[in-house]
Amino acid sequence: MEEVIRQQYSEQEKQNIFNQEFMPHINSMYNFAYRLTLDADDAKDLLQDTYLKAYRFIDSFQQGTNAKAWLFRILKNSFINDYRKRSKEPSKVDYQEVETFYNSEDVDRQITPDLRVEALQDMIGDEISNALNSLDVDFRTVIILCDLEGFKYEEMAKILDIPIGTVRSRLHRARNLLKEKLSEYAKSMGYKTT
Amino acid sequence: MSNVPDQKRMKQDCENKRECLEILQLILDGEASTEQKNHFLKEHLEECMPCYKNYHLEVAIRELLKTKCTNHAPQDLVDDIRKKIIQNLAR
Repeated sequence: MEEVIRQQYSEQEKQNIFNQEFMPHINSMYNFAYRLTLDADDAKDLLQDTYLKAYRFIDSFQQGTNAKAWLFRILKNSFINDYRKRSKEPSKVDYQEVETFYNSEDVDRQITPDLRVEALQDMIGDEISNALNSLDVDFRTVIILCDLEGFKYEEMAKILDIPIGTVRSRLHRARNLLKEKLSEYAKSMGYKTT
Repeated sequence: MSNVPDQKRMKQDCENKRECLEILQLILDGEASTEQKNHFLKEHLEECMPCYKNYHLEVAIRELLKTKCTNHAPQDLVDDIRKKIIQNLAR
């Protein structure tokens, strides 16, 4: 992390930053909180904690820098520190292991998409949402940051405290896993997958 | 990408599927170089069926994610957060 330069904002400036730079991201932030915790009550608490923290540490936010990335990073850290431990999800597999597994060529060949656009167009219910939610939280996170929120790889690397190369490979793996899930749904909907 | 290429004249198999998938994801993520974009979008996609299909699949998944996986914050929560911050400011 780069060095944090502390600002000294007046009360009025704080209020302006909060209203003009932080609040506009509240829907994206809620969605991120919800997709991480998979629970509406936890998402509420996490969002509230994050915004209160953002306000408390507002002096370490530099105006003109990316407020959305700054907020997402706080939310992600709060999630890891306060929520992940008591999450209802079963204990996670070591994801280093998962990543090594999905790095192998074999797996890539196996899951070249047999999914068709037509099948996707018929997924008008919760299929995609369920597919996304079923992914391991680290894979889910990169898809949310990139495909839903449009963060660049460099911003994602800062939010997640991982190297850009890891962002790229994790994203690639995550998308393959998502497609795998979606083709299971497609099969169950009666689409032939060859 | 609006003109549909002649499918019969396209390659039915791609020898660089894995690399191509990575490049097309870079393109859609806005992280590809100009050369990658030019080569892939202007040349490769028009002649390679699997990549042409993959491209449209990736686009469709992203659209589906955007329309189906965004939940808005409940208004009472937004109001509550504002209220708490104003109280903080007043202190």
